Amino acid sequence: MYLFIEQSLNGLAVGSIYALITLGLALVYGILGVLHVAHAGIYTVGAYIGYGVYACTGSLVMAILVGMVACSCLGVLIERFIYFPLLKFPPYVPLISSIALFMGMEEFCRLVAGPSVRTFSLELPFPELKFLDIVISPTLTGIFAISATIFLVLWFITTKTELGLAMRATSQDMDIASSVGIDGHRIIDIIFILGSAIAAVAGILVGIYYNEVYPAMGTVPAYKSLALIVVGGLGSVQGAVIAALLLGIAETLLIGYANIPLPRDALAFIAMIAVLLWRPQGLFGKGA
Amino acid sequence: MSSYVITVSIFIVIQAIVAYGLNIIVGYAGQISLGHAAFFGIGAYSAALLSTRAGMVFWVAAPLVMLITGGIGLILGLPSLRVRADFLAITTIGINFIVEALFLYVPFFGGALGIGGIPRVRFMGLRLFGTSYLGLCLLCLGAVILVSWWFTKCWAGLACMALGEDETAASSMGISPVRFKLLAFVIGTAMAGLGGALYAHQMRFIAPSDFGFPVSVMILSLIVLGGMGTLWGPLIGAIILGALPEIFRPFTEYRMLLYGVILLIMIRFQPSGLLGEDSIIRKILKKYWTGGNDEK
Amino acid sequence: MRNDRAILQISDLSKHFGGLKAVERVSFDLLEGEILGLLGPNGAGKTTCFNMISGIYKPTSGSILFHKKRTDGLSPHQMARMGIGRTFQIVRPFATMTVLENIIISLGLQNYQTIGRSSKKWFTPTTRQKAMEILEQVSLCGLAFKKAGILPLGDLRRLEIGRALALKPELLLLDESFSGLRHEKISEMEKLILSLVKKGISVLLIEHNMKVAMKLCHRVVVLDHGRKLAEGTPEDIASDTRVIEAYLGKGGSAYYATSSE
Repeated sequence: MYLFIEQSLNGLAVGSIYALITLGLALVYGILGVLHVAHAGIYTVGAYIGYGVYACTGSLVMAILVGMVACSCLGVLIERFIYFPLLKFPPYVPLISSIALFMGMEEFCRLVAGPSVRTFSLELPFPELKFLDIVISPTLTGIFAISATIFLVLWFITTKTELGLAMRATSQDMDIASSVGIDGHRIIDIIFILGSAIAAVAGILVGIYYNEVYPAMGTVPAYKSLALIVVGGLGSVQGAVIAALLLGIAETLLIGYANIPLPRDALAFIAMIAVLLWRPQGLFGKGA
Repeated sequence: MSSYVITVSIFIVIQAIVAYGLNIIVGYAGQISLGHAAFFGIGAYSAALLSTRAGMVFWVAAPLVMLITGGIGLILGLPSLRVRADFLAITTIGINFIVEALFLYVPFFGGALGIGGIPRVRFMGLRLFGTSYLGLCLLCLGAVILVSWWFTKCWAGLACMALGEDETAASSMGISPVRFKLLAFVIGTAMAGLGGALYAHQMRFIAPSDFGFPVSVMILSLIVLGGMGTLWGPLIGAIILGALPEIFRPFTEYRMLLYGVILLIMIRFQPSGLLGEDSIIRKILKKYWTGGNDEK
Repeated sequence: MRNDRAILQISDLSKHFGGLKAVERVSFDLLEGEILGLLGPNGAGKTTCFNMISGIYKPTSGSILFHKKRTDGLSPHQMARMGIGRTFQIVRPFATMTVLENIIISLGLQNYQTIGRSSKKWFTPTTRQKAMEILEQVSLCGLAFKKAGILPLGDLRRLEIGRALALKPELLLLDESFSGLRHEKISEMEKLILSLVKKGISVLLIEHNMKVAMKLCHRVVVLDHGRKLAEGTPEDIASDTRVIEAYLGKGGSAYYATSSE
């Protein structure tokens, strides 16, 4: 029983990290309709920057802050110079550009930092929690605390502030939004800044949780998060987060308990195809 | 020709065959597919299994392989084509990952080691390899180009092109979206199957990773580079992308980076490809060769 | 009693989108050889009605009879085959194809039914001849080899009518074919529609511009907020106080508008 709970908690941690990566993807899809595969490249770059800054300064806070700022800039650059000019073309054009960009970013990381695995080897500075016999390690506590904070802040921004209202208006219809005085371009910038900063945090957290940072670390999340935004309902941010959490738990439990002859990474896609057959608009998507 | 050049040429021709299949689906029918390598793989695996386990000769197995691949294309296409364009892109990525996982984890398919000992193709008692196998591949490529050409000339192809441009308008003109999208899917996946069979008999050893998602991206970028929906685009794309690794040989370390950068620059500034509408090459051709056919 | 000459019979037709009742229990008949106008302010449910008749939407309830056969729930391509041609309010040309090819796509209607026929060649002298005849009807002959994407709106509206005509329809659905046209183009379009009716095609048209509709239509159905407000000859409608209220109450000057949207 304790093992089950510990496994579930591990799964929840994995799910939280998936959710952090998928958030940016769902936000970008919601506003531009672009499948932002290169988001996983930003996540990889974020992990490397975080690792580099931590190795130099020894300060985790610095590592996270620098990673967030650098990735935000990177995200905005990608949006301005690649996606925005391509919006008038069919959707496969920005998609392929995004995949090409992602490949380039992975290779860039490999060339700069080398193909070997870098290790963080530190625990997050959070307290260890104990309930009865269940021990939650500091890193796990940290992941839960950080992701919960990010979800709450993001939920607050999107539902309670004027910025959130403007974001929703822009994603509904950019022309109408701009006709009522919303600066659509600025909103898009803000979304890329938010999404990319969160991706950087996710990259650093993954680096610490699995204790490894390597060039291809973004490959699996890149496509798994695509499946997740489909399961959640394209453009539904809450849906994507819930789908990510469920997937993290399901993967960990299925690997722990059921002996299925499939790799854990295929599970997301199987879930996606099942959802598409049963509910084509996604679990939390609206309308038909 | 050195045997090295011949081997590279064989791979270019096989890639072109697979790319022509994708061009029917994406270029003509406008259905984005990012899982084409799955069908390439299904073709290769069925060819390998038919020849090693069932002892079939290539000439019997090849049509059967195309039938199998096209049939699986039909089954997988049926649910996929009901979903919206963006979903289709992701669904096909999913199909690719799942098919690769099945090859890897189902013992029948040989697991990570794949299938080895695939015999060479024999023709009148002669084993085809090197130049003669290149000849066979070129023959298949010719047939595939012929089918592609016919596709642009027949009503079914016209219907697919109309659907690719505007599904609502096309369907209100009597074109059944499901039927013609599926038709394009079946023809395209069958071509991928043929490419797979040729690949299996050339390599004589196949493994799941030969048909992973990066291969799908490579095939798609190849037709984007050459010009989506054009008759010669896939061939040009296959030749350029097939020759690139050889040209970049001195910079092996930077190969993938250059590949990504070239693809990015290409699609950013010339999204219709080298031979597509409004492309630089087409404009130059028109200037110097007015009166020449511009094929569609 | 329902009229025997009715080619299209709409009964109690409703379409709901979630809580929004876009069309609510609308009934009307369209007689053979008639021009029936479907009028109403923005958001009255006209285009929704069209989309149900042409098969794009499935009605929430109610029935559509075309030649006394139930057709609600059939898909657009089946409706095209039954003899209904339509145009779109926001034009949908096949932009990268030529004007001629746009027409030829419609001419293939019979060839899309079987695999055998659809593997035949489409660009033959006969199809080309037929397509040119249709282009002549909609006076687009001179533009046959131009890409449809570069045509001005007026020509595109005629191209859409041409595509619909190539289906040899018995019923033509025209969705705001006059909107966005300059004055002289409007009278050309009126002539075109009258000539089609002479050939025995029945026409159901959505119109925003009351002046044009009143002049052209034999009868008019007015929708407002998804419900049928009035039905009758243009003269009856023009003097109907409810109709005037619906228009003046909403858009103010819509009654006098010469162009719309």
